[in-house]
Amino acid sequence: MANLTTNLNTENHPFNEKLILKNPVMPASGTFGYGVEYAEYFKLEKLGAVVVKGIAPFASHGNPTPRVAEVTSGMLNAIGLQGPGIDKFLKGEEYLPFLKQQNCPIIVNIWGKTVEDYVEVAERLNEEADALTAIEINISCPNVKEGGVAFGTDEKLAYTVISKVRAATNIPLITKLSPNVTKIAPFAQVAEDAGSNMISLINTIPGMAIDIKTRKPKIANLTGGLSGPAIKPIAVRMVNEAYNAVKIPIIGMGGIMTGDDAIEFFLAGASAIGVGTAIFADPMAPINIIDGIDKFLDSEGFGNISDIIGQMGK
Amino acid sequence: MSVRQNGEIINNNLLYNDYYKVDFYAPEITKNAKAGQFIHLKIAKLEDRILRRPFSICNVSNDGTLTILYKVVGKGTEHLSKLKKCDVCDIMGPLGNPYSPPLDDEIPVVIAGGYGAASTYLLLHNSQQKGYLLLGGRSKDDLILVDEYKKTGSTVLTSTNDGSYGHKGLVTELIPDVLAKNKGKKLRFYACGPMGMLMAVGQQLLKEGFDAELSLDHLMCCGVGACFACVIKVKANNEDGWRYARTCSEGPIFKASEVYYG
Repeated sequence: MANLTTNLNTENHPFNEKLILKNPVMPASGTFGYGVEYAEYFKLEKLGAVVVKGIAPFASHGNPTPRVAEVTSGMLNAIGLQGPGIDKFLKGEEYLPFLKQQNCPIIVNIWGKTVEDYVEVAERLNEEADALTAIEINISCPNVKEGGVAFGTDEKLAYTVISKVRAATNIPLITKLSPNVTKIAPFAQVAEDAGSNMISLINTIPGMAIDIKTRKPKIANLTGGLSGPAIKPIAVRMVNEAYNAVKIPIIGMGGIMTGDDAIEFFLAGASAIGVGTAIFADPMAPINIIDGIDKFLDSEGFGNISDIIGQMGK
Repeated sequence: MSVRQNGEIINNNLLYNDYYKVDFYAPEITKNAKAGQFIHLKIAKLEDRILRRPFSICNVSNDGTLTILYKVVGKGTEHLSKLKKCDVCDIMGPLGNPYSPPLDDEIPVVIAGGYGAASTYLLLHNSQQKGYLLLGGRSKDDLILVDEYKKTGSTVLTSTNDGSYGHKGLVTELIPDVLAKNKGKKLRFYACGPMGMLMAVGQQLLKEGFDAELSLDHLMCCGVGACFACVIKVKANNEDGWRYARTCSEGPIFKASEVYYG
């Protein structure tokens, strides 16, 4: 058994035990609901952390249907951030009150249509600051017209939203970056400069699929975010570019299906990883990936997960 | 309580036309399965297609046999049709909410379109009261399980769009006769089939003063309520009058009176 303990603290902003996870594996936001949906399949406490679907100040319908389409080695989705809103999330029994009883670190993904929306959710989450491990700022959803990726593809807007959220809360912050930029490094640096304690990447990549018989798009929103094994090489590349640009820890994600896939992200520079589409294929995927990471470290003679972070050779 | 288990294929046979029947040995799933629920199947050896496919549970036996029916409509089902005895598939289930069985004094009336009839078979099979199956399809080839339903003692009425079998027209046109013949009796309605048919059945029965349990689904992804892909509109107390409900976890059974028809 290798030591999978994952320390997401940085020297400048230590949060001590709050940011020490038992392992580096967490679901990617939006693929794990609010946790309760998968609690029948395994104990949530086995995860490094639970990351919930995006929360806004308001309840949101999301996009029209169809919202998903399967493609070779992946899928397109344009769910459009359907969600209960912050009030229901804080009080509804199937949301935060359920998660608080599961003995697992909780990360809340937040989004909004305006900077004020992001600030409002962060301020409301202060009520539960002790129960939360981190807030993940989603500035990278490609499927909503207002907010989302508009903040994630403009350095000034990104700085504004991250720094305002930073001013609104002392909860550790993760900024989820968009891959839909020419260079990822400047956005990683913006997140670090604006006070984000970690970054996570990548969100999905816009794609399109057409039903050739009906000649209509397979997604009502026309485009959807591509995820799954098809995007993994892009994600590994961007994690490595971000790793070379910033000192804050990186949560890497994009097409991870197995423990071996996860190892690539650690070698590229990720300190932790997110599992997304793989969960739809197999609800046990996060647990199998934890086991796979452990087996790899054992078989290669590494005692700690930290031994391989950023250790890609040239 | 749903589980994930490996199910070995016992039989995988062409029924007729493009319709197939597959039996899995999946005792952990069959022991809790009820009519109207579904399984989420990872089709073995389908390497570059990573998502699961949902299928209505058609039948279960005490010996652990789980039966589903399917029609070859795409890459996944085409691949499934080529799997052989002893191949093993990863199955999640039973998922979703079941139909509520008819009470002792109620006559079950099932309205089904095409292989929607698979989802309601267990309901009439297990019912103490003999009921009705109103089965519609585009042509005779789409009418499945007719003999099996007859063996349950149910009255089977059929319709086809092209008139190749039974009444020529829509399955909803069979409803008035059943209502007329059973005046004063307690009827309980169920329906499964294409979305357009279900919307028509729901609205027609509501107009007649009845409710119905409709089995609704939409392109599904996780199967457990996590991803919000498979939503349909249901009535809600908000300014729009509707909200998106997940057919996998909040359904697939919805009351006709809950559905938003706007």
